[in-house]
Amino acid sequence: MTVREWFSNKIRNDVRTVVQKPAEWREDVAYTVDGMRRGTIDPLDVAKTVLATLATIVFVFVLLIPVYWIFIIALQGEGATLYSTDSAGLIPSQFDPAAFVWVIGDIAIPGAIVGITIPFTDVEFYISWPRIVFLDASNYVDSTSDFPRYFRNSMFISFWTVVFAMLMIVPAAYAFSRREFAGRMKLLYGYILFTQVGAGLGIASVIALYTIFSSMGVTNNRLVLSFYYAAMAVPFNTWLLKTYMDSIPTSLEEAAIMDGASPFRVAWEVVLPLAKPGIATIFIFIFLVGWMEFIIAQLILSPEHYTLPVGLFALIDEHNVPWGQFAAFALVYASPVVFIYMFAQRYIEDGFSFGGTKG
Amino acid sequence: MSLSSVGDRTRERYQATVPEHIRDRLEEHRPLLLVLPGLIAFSLFMFFPLAYTIYLSFTDAEPATVFQDGPGGLTGFFGLRGEESFVGLENYVAVFSDPTFWNSLGVTWLFVICSVALKVAFGVGIAMILTSDRVKGKRYMRSIIIIPWALPPIFTITIWSGIFSSARFGLANQAVIFLGFSEQAWLNDRWMAFASYLLTEMWLAYPFMVIITVSALQAVSDELMDAAKVDGAGYFHRFWHVTVPSIKRPVMFAAILTAAASFTQFLIPYVFNRGGPNRANELIVLHGYQEAFNFNAYGAGAAIMMSAVAFIGAFMIVAVWKGRLAEGVDGP
Repeated sequence: MTVREWFSNKIRNDVRTVVQKPAEWREDVAYTVDGMRRGTIDPLDVAKTVLATLATIVFVFVLLIPVYWIFIIALQGEGATLYSTDSAGLIPSQFDPAAFVWVIGDIAIPGAIVGITIPFTDVEFYISWPRIVFLDASNYVDSTSDFPRYFRNSMFISFWTVVFAMLMIVPAAYAFSRREFAGRMKLLYGYILFTQVGAGLGIASVIALYTIFSSMGVTNNRLVLSFYYAAMAVPFNTWLLKTYMDSIPTSLEEAAIMDGASPFRVAWEVVLPLAKPGIATIFIFIFLVGWMEFIIAQLILSPEHYTLPVGLFALIDEHNVPWGQFAAFALVYASPVVFIYMFAQRYIEDGFSFGGTKG
Repeated sequence: MSLSSVGDRTRERYQATVPEHIRDRLEEHRPLLLVLPGLIAFSLFMFFPLAYTIYLSFTDAEPATVFQDGPGGLTGFFGLRGEESFVGLENYVAVFSDPTFWNSLGVTWLFVICSVALKVAFGVGIAMILTSDRVKGKRYMRSIIIIPWALPPIFTITIWSGIFSSARFGLANQAVIFLGFSEQAWLNDRWMAFASYLLTEMWLAYPFMVIITVSALQAVSDELMDAAKVDGAGYFHRFWHVTVPSIKRPVMFAAILTAAASFTQFLIPYVFNRGGPNRANELIVLHGYQEAFNFNAYGAGAAIMMSAVAFIGAFMIVAVWKGRLAEGVDGP
């Protein structure tokens, strides 16, 4: 099963569940009403359940009001502030996507000219196309945000973080899961310990980290920052991928060994393809490290290399932009993360066992 | 000459030059080679800065000295050392005799105690509601309610700094005006700022408590519950004598972890008001950070950081040790 099939299966199941749920609920309600009519179900009991459920829904809503509030403000146009009632109330007065247009800016394919020379001849082709504009932001707003630049920086850093981390983590997870070597259990326990205390120690050594980076002249270097993130992602993700690999049965590998495959081929052609869902999971986690980290990034990056979190903070701290623009920026930044998490949550429910220190 | 014969010849030469016992050792420990790159990279960025923090805390490092070209060579850590000089325990003496340090440490412990109490009470409360038989659609509500966990911290914290904005229509001000009070400048008053930190920290961290508690509650034995019901125990009796003993250990464990996270909280005070007003609410990590990057005292900052690590380390050891003791007392 390829990763794509696996994902599409999951999504298909989700969609099917969403479509079928209302029918199930209707059946439940019909059954309950019928039961009350016949007198087999106590109306008082039903009333209690309905009230409790309603109260819980209200409670959940109140708890998540901050998210709702920021959403409403983002839809009040780019000039919305906290100083006027019609832009910061809980009940929306208008829906205006201008703030989102401000964040995203133009949507266009950049124009270019490409020259092709056929070797050993004098024939040259020039292919050019104009800038193709899908959305021209200047029709709606006066200026646009730095979001695209921050986005490129974040993508760059997250991409290299994933590359560096994968190169270190995948072989290590394989070795932890399938091979025996000196100090294996001790190392594994050490990694698990550092998944808990690593963040705290990391922030405690931020002064030294800054001094070291400055002395070596690598502040504002996005690749060094990527490598730092990759290194910090090692303990948790190695452990996670190791537990996933542990759940893959060894019978296929035994068969491959019987057929005379070398250890490398067994790892490359049997274990790795089977571990793809696990690798996809740590891919997401590692990608999000670069996407979300703020403290080190704002300490060592200069404005031209700001990532999205640093840019987001700079908006309210340095520029004091209207709250409507800020809210739209924040939502565009955070929404992919939420979708990914909602999806990844299913892994945990699918029995992604987290107790994998055994054997 | 085919490629495979090159491989064969290389292998032959390898076998000829490397003695057999070394080859055996290499063979035996080869899996370690797969682990080493990650281990080395992690150690490089975890332990070296930590060791360097300890070194800095014994020097008078500041930007003017530490970034100069130092002696170089082995004793100069290959160029990392600048012109800072050893001052022994001077930084620690200065830090420990500074009332702002003790204020910061006190505020931090207060923050840890209050936020852990709030997180546990709130988390267990929500978990009780979302496992109750009376509530329908619990699974969906559970996945919605952990959304704060999924949001990037910088997003959540900047949003909450807007909620506690002193503007008339900040969300907190809308709420107090709705309740009939006058609007507040939340972040300009010491204790109101502290309370706003607490509320934000609780909102950030309750999903973790809810997840742990829900899985613990689902493991509470139904038979015990039914037996208590038959014996006529009321709701609170059942909660206190059946539920609490069975969820105590996982919740304790989660509380210790979340206490450590609260202790190293940096972003909330930093984003809200830089630990103000007048440095009154600087949590300990922010205190060290400000000392280093605002007042250019890298040595003193490093000393504060190391003291913080020592305090939280001692707390964790005692907490785990006490946890073990509880295990011995409660066990069969």
